[in-house]
Amino acid sequence: MVSSDEALITLRLFGPLRDAVGQAEICLPCAGATVKEALVRFAEERGDAVRPFILDGQGDLWRSVILLLNGEPVGDSAETRLKAGDVISLLLPLAGG
Amino acid sequence: MTAFTEEQVERYSRHIILPEVGGKGQRKLLDARVVIIGAGGLGSPTGLYLAAAGVGTIGIVDSDVVELSNLQRQVLHANSDLGRHKSLSARETMEAINPDVQVIAHDLRLSSDNILDVINDYDIVVDGSDNFPTRYLVNDACVMSGKPLSHAGILRFEGQATTIIPGRGPCYRCLYPEPPPPGMVPSCQEAGILGATAGVMGTIQASEVLKLILGIGNPLSGRLLLYNGLDMTFREVPVARKRDCPLCGDNPTVTTLIDYEEFCSLRGAAALSEEVTW
Repeated sequence: MVSSDEALITLRLFGPLRDAVGQAEICLPCAGATVKEALVRFAEERGDAVRPFILDGQGDLWRSVILLLNGEPVGDSAETRLKAGDVISLLLPLAGG
Repeated sequence: MTAFTEEQVERYSRHIILPEVGGKGQRKLLDARVVIIGAGGLGSPTGLYLAAAGVGTIGIVDSDVVELSNLQRQVLHANSDLGRHKSLSARETMEAINPDVQVIAHDLRLSSDNILDVINDYDIVVDGSDNFPTRYLVNDACVMSGKPLSHAGILRFEGQATTIIPGRGPCYRCLYPEPPPPGMVPSCQEAGILGATAGVMGTIQASEVLKLILGIGNPLSGRLLLYNGLDMTFREVPVARKRDCPLCGDNPTVTTLIDYEEFCSLRGAAALSEEVTW
């Protein structure tokens, strides 16, 4: 088990998700988990205000949220294992015009 | 090729002296046909710059009327336009800026029944709509008919933009395969919008359209541009065409146009019923 300081990752939030969470960045002790595990855990912990932005009705990652791991699209590799210092960014579509 | 009038030479002189534009490029602009979906926050700056640039034929699609709350950002319309149909107000403003430009007002609400007929007459489409059902409909129609599409979306102080070139790069569904569930992503009416955010993103759309017409530079294809006006940052995310895209992938599941439920309607029931009668 690594120390909590070393095991932190950063979740960077944009648009409506940032508004729902109330913060632009959150540090999470998720290193060692996969991208998907970390996001599912985060979504479940935050409950109804946040879950629908990240998970679909089946509890899988919602297809229309763009996930970036250290600035690169995660695409289909949500099983990538996180390491300390990683940054996950979550992008949602914007409807306004 | 028709010769420029003296007035045109003067009007477009700052374009013509650009090596990337020149007389040939200006002629391309005058011969081009672009349709803008929505005469709102995004469509206003896009329309103003395309008209000023001398894009010869501009279609503007909108079924709303100008309201007081629009004027904080929708710069095609003035106080004196309150209550007028936006497509007509927009046409008047654009034609006043540049009499070379023919503006066609499409005073209608887009649906799967009429969108292909509308965009068929144009070379390039600009999405400046304000709701997800229209955004998916416009993307799907453009991909199905092979029309380049400039996309942008805005909320509060943030914007996103990408350029969709069917057959050559990812489409909107490659980024966001399906619309959000009803009520999940707020509208500008619900969450607010700094007017200048619309100006930044609409002007990016105008730049993209002009580049496409001129055949210069690198289009914002395969890239999603993210703008944050509070931090004043631009970021770029690479996006690839998805082989499992429901629309442009190898085995598409979206093969006909879909009218998604107007779950994020910005209008009241009275306004909707009014639209039907137009």
